[in-house]
Amino acid sequence: MSWCGRPGKGVLPDAAQSRFAGTMIRVRFFTILRLLVKRADVILDRRGISVRDLLDDAQRAVPVPFLHKVLDDEGKMKRGTLILVNGRHVQHLDGLDTIIEDGDEVSLFPPGGGG
Amino acid sequence: MKVTDAGVLRVNLSKGTFVEESVGEDMYKMYLGGRGMAAKLLSDEIDPAIDALSPDNKLIFANGLLSGTSAPTGGRYMVITKSPLTGTIASSNSGGIFGAVMRRTGYLMIVIEGRSPKPVYISINDNTVEIKDAVHLWGLGTAAATDKILQEFGEKRASVSCIGPAGEKLSKIACIINDKHRAAGRSGVGAVMGSKNLKAIVVKGSNPIESEEKDQFSAYAKEKTKMLKENAVTGEGLPALGTKVLDSIINQSGLYPTRNFQFATFEDTEEVSGEALVAKGYLKSNKACFGCPIACGRYTVLPGGREGEGPEYESGWAFGADCGVNDLIAITEANFICNDLGLDTISTGTTIAAAMEMYEKGYIKKEDLQNGPEMKFGSSEAVVYYTRMTGMREGFGDLLAEGSYRLGEHFGHPELSMSVKKQELPAYDPRGVQGHGLSYATSNRGGCHVRGYLISPEILGSPEKLDPQELTGKPQWVKTFQDLTAVIDSAGLCLFSSFALGLQDYTDLINGATGFSMTAEEVLTIGERIWNLERDFNLKAGISPVTDSLPERFLEPIPDGPQKGAVSHVQQLLPEYYSLRGWNKDGTIPKGKLKQLGLENAKVVLVRKTG
Ligand code: SF4
Repeated sequence: MSWCGRPGKGVLPDAAQSRFAGTMIRVRFFTILRLLVKRADVILDRRGISVRDLLDDAQRAVPVPFLHKVLDDEGKMKRGTLILVNGRHVQHLDGLDTIIEDGDEVSLFPPGGGG
Repeated sequence: MKVTDAGVLRVNLSKGTFVEESVGEDMYKMYLGGRGMAAKLLSDEIDPAIDALSPDNKLIFANGLLSGTSAPTGGRYMVITKSPLTGTIASSNSGGIFGAVMRRTGYLMIVIEGRSPKPVYISINDNTVEIKDAVHLWGLGTAAATDKILQEFGEKRASVSCIGPAGEKLSKIACIINDKHRAAGRSGVGAVMGSKNLKAIVVKGSNPIESEEKDQFSAYAKEKTKMLKENAVTGEGLPALGTKVLDSIINQSGLYPTRNFQFATFEDTEEVSGEALVAKGYLKSNKACFGCPIACGRYTVLPGGREGEGPEYESGWAFGADCGVNDLIAITEANFICNDLGLDTISTGTTIAAAMEMYEKGYIKKEDLQNGPEMKFGSSEAVVYYTRMTGMREGFGDLLAEGSYRLGEHFGHPELSMSVKKQELPAYDPRGVQGHGLSYATSNRGGCHVRGYLISPEILGSPEKLDPQELTGKPQWVKTFQDLTAVIDSAGLCLFSSFALGLQDYTDLINGATGFSMTAEEVLTIGERIWNLERDFNLKAGISPVTDSLPERFLEPIPDGPQKGAVSHVQQLLPEYYSLRGWNKDGTIPKGKLKQLGLENAKVVLVRKTG
């Protein structure tokens, strides 16, 4: 299926990288979110905005509602939600106020576990 | 039958005899059951320094206190023995239905002693016990052996736990498989069963288990089941994607060990992840163990028609990223082979990964492979071929069957074995998660993730999110998680329940079932007692605290990914950990600590049942 598999190498695919000259932000959907929105990512022409605003933009770009899986009614991150900016959990950065820079990659995971 | 009424079946295979014994209420209060109670029996009854594959070792199938009751996830049992892989105490946990069915026979534990002169299996139909010939079953895979035994047993609702050729041939990474697909996987417990010439145990029981505070217990059971169903992890993530929900989480977090832990991200994770298993259409359904509302098991059908359970996260990783393999079919195939031949998937995959690194570095030569395919990272052919050879102990597989540490020693490079206390590490690079690294180093059964799963707070944010690189406070977290896990295991519940339940929930269930009135603190002390008991066993077995360490590789910086540059700080964390445990600076346990936990007492003597 097209919503699984490549591109998925942890950074933008090479072609995209040069085409957008690093000004695009890639928001990647994983686990339950991917099954829900049926796509692996969305590429947004944004920079210098907060994770919170980026999430709103991502939601506008995707027809299936997904924000309720990661945020609660007050717009706070649900316990166990993972929002990684270049592999770092936003909780150890500035939370939802973390500013996204050129070429950053944002990975979204609803609460997950296993072992 | 009351929860605390179950007995012990002691079978001596050298003599072909068996007796029934009973367990005093004190034992439940001190150890709950399962892992804890069996560790106590093993410590009392064997010299920890013996050879694990000698007839002097004992093999204990132990149900937890709540196994077989209506407590959610109460379908877990454990196999406790001295490990031939690590030399430590082994306690391997499994699900399916075997434990719950065994509990209904009236036996909380089955203690197996001695060595049968020829292959046998034990048949238990309520309290009718027979030791049966298994010469015709020797050599069969676990699926065929199970079918044959069930056919001979001739009754529905029976369950079989058995070994495959790997256990028969004493592979130190052999497991025990029950219900065809569920494994008491780690530490080579299958080899101990093989050394006793015991192919299988088949059980069928019809005694219902009654809790002491019936109404209270069923109210608790319902309440905890609801909590599991409503939790995002146990109610949604695990049922949908199983443990393979983790591939992308761990890879994106930069902890996904790749090519024998040389790297911490895998470029082809999208090809092998849980999401891929669904998208490629291989996943057919999820499956549950007895009494489990979570149902994290996978039932998979491959394009060629081969079907079975798996792959779980750990198994998929071991044959996948750790071997540099991006072929989900080959990975699943290797998993199926392990289930049938009776091999631990984590140790098998990680041992093959170590061999691949040794081959690529020139330490293992082509001629060593005895005509097998090249041991190159990324070769799905090699992964499938050598998994089978390991299970059969044929060709180069004979050396692989000894595990990665002994393989490394054989070729002069044990440092390339990614193991702790000679047991292979699971799927998280400890450099990127400092608490989890400490948990690896101090686990009582060597390299293992389920004795204190610090990934939960450090990565997954449950019960709260900790910074994985922070050192402050981590020793306390590790101690608490280790003690709590000993409680969950000994209660016979699944560790995954802890994504939604906490200590008070477990205390409720324990009290409701037994009529005890223990506080949460007292219950956690049981966990601490069990931890110290196991540690004491290991010290007496000659396992030095110096082995509370990680392979040298983890002192070198991670070369790639989000955690690039990170190294392990385990040695920095150890002194505080020892001190919190009340141990000496050298990691030994002072007499006073044993006394405080009630572990200096004389040996427990089980009372022989009459009539
Ligand atoms: S969560 Fe998974 S492993 Fe645990 S009892 Fe349920 S089905 Fe079995």
